[in-house]
Amino acid sequence: MTIFSTDHKVIGKQYIGLSLFAVLIGMALSLAMRYHLVHPDAKVRLFQMLWPDGAPGGQMTPELYLSLMTMHGTIMVFFVLTTAPQSGFGNYFLPLQIGAHDMAFPVLNMLSFWTTTLSFLVLMAAFVVEGGAPLSGWTAYPPLSALGKIAGPGQGLGQDLWVLSIALFCVASLMAAINFIATIIELRAPGVGYFDMPLTAWAWFVTALISLFAFAVLLAGGILLLLDRMAGTSFFIPGGLVVSDQIQARSGGSPILFQHLFWFFGHPEVYIAILPGMGVISTVLSVFSGKKVFGYRAMAYAMLAIGGLGFLVWGHHMFISGMSPYSSVAFSVLTLAIGVPSAIKTFNWIATLWGGRIRFKAAMLYALGFVSLFITGGVTGLVLGQPGLDLYFHDTYFVVAHFHLIMGVAAIFAIFAALHYWFPLLYGRFLNETLGKIHFYGTFVGVYAVFVPLHFAGIAGNPRRYPDFKEYEFLKSLMPLHVGVTHAAYSLAAIQLLFLFNYFWSQRKGKLADKNPWGAATREWNHD
Amino acid sequence: MTNVARTGQTLLIVASSMLFAAFTSAMVVRRATGTDWIAPSVPVWLWAAALLAIAASCLVAKKFYRSAALCGFALVASQIACAASLRMGDVAQSFAAVLVTAHAAHALFGACALWWKGERASLFWHFAGALWLYVLWLIGVWA
Repeated sequence: MTIFSTDHKVIGKQYIGLSLFAVLIGMALSLAMRYHLVHPDAKVRLFQMLWPDGAPGGQMTPELYLSLMTMHGTIMVFFVLTTAPQSGFGNYFLPLQIGAHDMAFPVLNMLSFWTTTLSFLVLMAAFVVEGGAPLSGWTAYPPLSALGKIAGPGQGLGQDLWVLSIALFCVASLMAAINFIATIIELRAPGVGYFDMPLTAWAWFVTALISLFAFAVLLAGGILLLLDRMAGTSFFIPGGLVVSDQIQARSGGSPILFQHLFWFFGHPEVYIAILPGMGVISTVLSVFSGKKVFGYRAMAYAMLAIGGLGFLVWGHHMFISGMSPYSSVAFSVLTLAIGVPSAIKTFNWIATLWGGRIRFKAAMLYALGFVSLFITGGVTGLVLGQPGLDLYFHDTYFVVAHFHLIMGVAAIFAIFAALHYWFPLLYGRFLNETLGKIHFYGTFVGVYAVFVPLHFAGIAGNPRRYPDFKEYEFLKSLMPLHVGVTHAAYSLAAIQLLFLFNYFWSQRKGKLADKNPWGAATREWNHD
Repeated sequence: MTNVARTGQTLLIVASSMLFAAFTSAMVVRRATGTDWIAPSVPVWLWAAALLAIAASCLVAKKFYRSAALCGFALVASQIACAASLRMGDVAQSFAAVLVTAHAAHALFGACALWWKGERASLFWHFAGALWLYVLWLIGVWA
């Protein structure tokens, strides 16, 4: 096996490996942030060793906190949630499920993986360049992200590398999207119609379609942002801006314009992260209930509807940007409309379980956990989709709690479900069931212990992106809540070590698997 | 051309169209919201370069792929010369530079593909030619 393999199975495993590495870094950054929030004055030797400029004497500066937040968000959204469910599992299993010998363009597939890897390395390089990693969050709003070094540490070369990394990621994702769509359209085996494909294949198909339309727009935004930073253009930087007592020699740019370009990508990105998980969960619920998926066609159409509507709702991220109230109403109605296909999926999952002979294997537990998280996170999405409420909740921890549940943790649960379900095909062995169940219960309780209290912090008006709550009188009373959340986060991280052990141990020592151990009906289990 | 190649090219065309749609929408919004928009003047010879794109498409239709690729390379050279002459400090000219350079990248890819892959790259080349006419209209007439 060569690392520059064009084999879809090898590339799928490479994507999964990259995501696993990325999630460990992303998780470590989140723990450092949580630690700082409850111990803002603590001096930690590790911080000083890792970031001598950002943590002089071991005490984390606000700028370092913001750079960790930026990198955490970027790593998790792009290199974990976008990469593993679609490119990882999709590459490995899509050709097997539709009877293709490989992806349509194997060399392009290999190039796509290595461009993603290069993008990841470029992003990581931001940690070690002068000024460190950027501060502007994963959304990189200008003017902060567009001004360059004068805007603060990390806004020089660090932000350049961030934009370059995202541009590379866009190119890689476009290559992957073209490959997935072409594979499904052209390489289905004879007799495999669109409505003969498993819902996982449908999910990868719809996700690839979304990627094709969304990443090109982010690429355009990234190119214009890079030119504002490096070529003296004024696409996003307004005229008359004064930074550090210096007037910026730019004219008439619009920061809101970048927000439109970003969120035209950013909202569909939520579905890029979650739709492959929906496909996996549909399959797992069906297999471990011993029943066919309830309402197969409705499930496929619902995914298409979610994908289509997802492009019409980007404005709900910008309710407070000064847009017309009429636009807000339109975006709000369309946002709430996404609840319809989402509810179709949820009710169909429940109907699939109804009357089934349910086997509570670890994969099934994760699938049920996904449904729970999808409902919890989805309901708060309806709250945020209303302009009147969003005015209050915008940029509070309510938003943080919402998107972590619906986009982050739910998608991660789908990844866990997929790994438990397909591990016999990936490695010829089972993941240990007992460890898997302990890991599930610990993780399930842990994520709710972390993110439910953060909703209440948001309701209490706790803004996000503040590195030191004790500086603000109105936030002092919320410190006990944050201490509890941070301890829950430590526990949640600790239980992940159990999964890591299980993942690597089971590859060599796990129980050997039969050819189709779960009794599944999809093609990948019958492939030699 | 195989179905797989044709589908792949069609999808590439969709992605490229989205890229240029995003640039266009940014240009429309930026012109409407700023007070610093001065219409860029497109060099006359850039209009003449449109003939290169059309000539290349005609040559592709006649299956003279390498001759078409040479026209493509000439088009790219004229586009690079044009982009280099534009002032990035002027917002309308900077949009023109972005669009011309982005198209040059597409034209270069298309010309190289014509040179090495011949007929298999024809669909993309026709798209690149039509796209150049659109870009010229956008920066030369609309802007």
